[in-house]
Amino acid sequence: MKLRIERVSKQYGRGPWALREFSLELAPGVLGLLGPNGAGKTTLMSILATITRATEGRVLWNESEAARNPDELRSVLGYLPQDFGVYPNLNAVEFLEYLAAVKGLDAAASRKRIDELLNLVNLADVCKRPLGGYSGGMKQRVGIAQALLNDPKLLIVDEPTAGLDPEERVRFRNLLSELSGERIVILSTHIVSDVEATATEIAMISQGRLVAHASPEELLQRVEGRVWEWVLPSAELNAARQKHLISNTTRRSDGVHARVLGENPPNGAHPVAPTLEDAYLYCLSQHRTAVVAA
Amino acid sequence: MSASRVLYQMARADFLERVRRYSFLLTLAFAIYLGYATFAGHILLRLDDYRGIYNSAWLGGLMALVSSMFLSLVGFYIVKNSIQRDQDTRVGRILATTPMTKTFYTMAKTASNFAVLASMVAVMAGATVVMQFIQAEDRHIDLWALLGPLILLSLPCMAFTAALAVLFETLPLLRSGMGNVIYFFLWSFLLVGPVSVVEKNRPIPPSAYLMDFGGIVSTMGQMQSAVRQLDADYKGGSSLTVGNHEPAPPKRFVWQGIAWNQPILLGRVVWISFSLLLVLIAAVFFHRFDPAREWRLRKATAAPSAAEESATTVEHGSRAEPATIHLTPMAQARPRYSLAALVMAELRIMLKGKRWWWYAVAGGLSIACLASPLENARGGVLVAAWIWPILVWSSMGARERRNETESLIFSSARALPRQLPAVWIAGVVVALLTGGGVGIRLLLRGDFAGAEAFLAGAFFVPSLALALGVWSGSSKPFEAIYTAWWYVGPAHHTPGIDFMGVSAASSEPVVFAMAAVALVAVAYWGRRVRMGYA
Repeated sequence: MKLRIERVSKQYGRGPWALREFSLELAPGVLGLLGPNGAGKTTLMSILATITRATEGRVLWNESEAARNPDELRSVLGYLPQDFGVYPNLNAVEFLEYLAAVKGLDAAASRKRIDELLNLVNLADVCKRPLGGYSGGMKQRVGIAQALLNDPKLLIVDEPTAGLDPEERVRFRNLLSELSGERIVILSTHIVSDVEATATEIAMISQGRLVAHASPEELLQRVEGRVWEWVLPSAELNAARQKHLISNTTRRSDGVHARVLGENPPNGAHPVAPTLEDAYLYCLSQHRTAVVAA
Repeated sequence: MSASRVLYQMARADFLERVRRYSFLLTLAFAIYLGYATFAGHILLRLDDYRGIYNSAWLGGLMALVSSMFLSLVGFYIVKNSIQRDQDTRVGRILATTPMTKTFYTMAKTASNFAVLASMVAVMAGATVVMQFIQAEDRHIDLWALLGPLILLSLPCMAFTAALAVLFETLPLLRSGMGNVIYFFLWSFLLVGPVSVVEKNRPIPPSAYLMDFGGIVSTMGQMQSAVRQLDADYKGGSSLTVGNHEPAPPKRFVWQGIAWNQPILLGRVVWISFSLLLVLIAAVFFHRFDPAREWRLRKATAAPSAAEESATTVEHGSRAEPATIHLTPMAQARPRYSLAALVMAELRIMLKGKRWWWYAVAGGLSIACLASPLENARGGVLVAAWIWPILVWSSMGARERRNETESLIFSSARALPRQLPAVWIAGVVVALLTGGGVGIRLLLRGDFAGAEAFLAGAFFVPSLALALGVWSGSSKPFEAIYTAWWYVGPAHHTPGIDFMGVSAASSEPVVFAMAAVALVAVAYWGRRVRMGYA
């Protein structure tokens, strides 16, 4: 089972490139796709989900090119888009039955699966109510259930925790971890903690380009010895921001505790263990510096 | 910021948002086409054997009539989405948190609607000037004679149309497709109503001017009077025909233009006042993007309250802990791609959510098709039976875009060759369920030509809905076009456009069967383009 993305680029009309020469090869596991807003994550997800074609490059599912034979990929695909709607007059069961029919699933098998999925996403109690009355978080859970309907080998989830409350978010992260064994899961988000909890690999994207692709441990190693904690008076914080890359600040009685990223620590700063958020911000800043220099 | 400035900014933002969409270019193209069609003689105003020479007065009057009649119909459907757009873009919720009053909002929306319609009138005014030069029957441009009718007759008509569109959007029943259907009949009444007050060869009563929504009485009435003074044998006939293939009227006369009398001007003030009144009424019903009111208006089960949601959370207190997953593996079950299952699912989506009386009437019409005398069933009951599900058909092809389920459906295997045909078949099933009794009885009687016509209709209607829905992404074009076509064609047994074949004389099954095939192909092509990745 392998998904290969080869030098994929996407341009909408004659506008700027949303994605540029993006290459990646994936095996079973959870890939966390991290990037700021507008980085090209959703464009990449749409290409992988066969919603839109790449302008250049190709996507291969088990060596079969998705553009030539999209149904081979679609038949094993579970996709939770960033924005999607529901039919307001149907209830959750009817909606999932409809999508099961669209996906060509056997009626009897899918019925059992729908019951299980509704339990899994905590909607069994309200599954007979029209979807039009669901809250945003509940609709998102219906979206999660539909993505898992066909027991997908490739599961693509785009900003899946948007609208979920903290408990549901944790629950969904756990679900992703458990599902990842025999399938490829691509989790696109800008929330680092979602990726931290589940991803076996991380890809960082910025301005449509792949900035980094590594395991979480490797990414953390990259910033080892480059994260510092610096205590400074709050009045000096703005000036400090001009000079240093600060990933986080906490106000305490002795002043502001700032996490500073960089090769050279400010005077009085001491080294601390890096987090994935530090690694993410450091990689992005390195990329931006390189782009400006180029 | 002053109130007028706020109003201006609100209307301006809404107007700019519209005119920067490609659909606005289509709107202007339609206005240009109307000008061209009039110039080319496809739209012809005649007074029995007479027409006016193409001077400023005649062309101004003619264009005022054409713009009032067509733009008040098509324009209504074009602008009846301003509140919906704020809803869809969620801008409405931001506006609702500002000090903006409801009256202010409905007034701004009406102003924006009016600006869109007025821009179409302006395009037609430009076309009129060009037309007068090209026709070259009288090249003297009299600006007031040319533009006066457009300003004084068409613009108040557009103002009323703009305000009515806002009112329709604020009223729950009229906001939906039902409103689109109802408007067609209201429009017919508004246009024809004042004409019925006028008696042939008698002076026009002031009340006719006051009721003159589209300016028909003011223009055609005065044109008739002018011809009557020229020709004692003139019978008082007049017509504005579309798609005219008859030879042009042999006689010409010089029309000096509308004599702007007090009743006409008072009538225009009345229609502008009505527009303002509609704005105020709309403000009363405007929901100000309150989700509770919006939801209640959608007539569905109440949304779960926060308390209910938190109850679900409490009930599953340990849900944040790792979920124990017991999911039936589906990998072994090969996809079956059953078309029948998909058709049933599509049918369920189409028919779900209607009120009980909708099913009762549909059932009644279906039984009436079976039980009433065949001639009545074919000529009358079937006509009713196939207008009743208009809102069911109108969602075909557009539902996926409207409900934002495209990404879920289009990423499924074989979506194009399965889901679209399933929608079409479900639409045909609806036609057969509602009017099938007529088809069965025609077959039993051995009237195969009649049965063919019936079947062609049953295929044609959903095909038209599907093609329009796929290409427009909206149910509105089908609702507007089908209502007008149904009224002019089958309801009046008009040969050539009677797609139901309500009588042997008017039926043309081969034409409509072929049209159905072409429309399905157009829909398929449109969906393929939309998917971009078939």
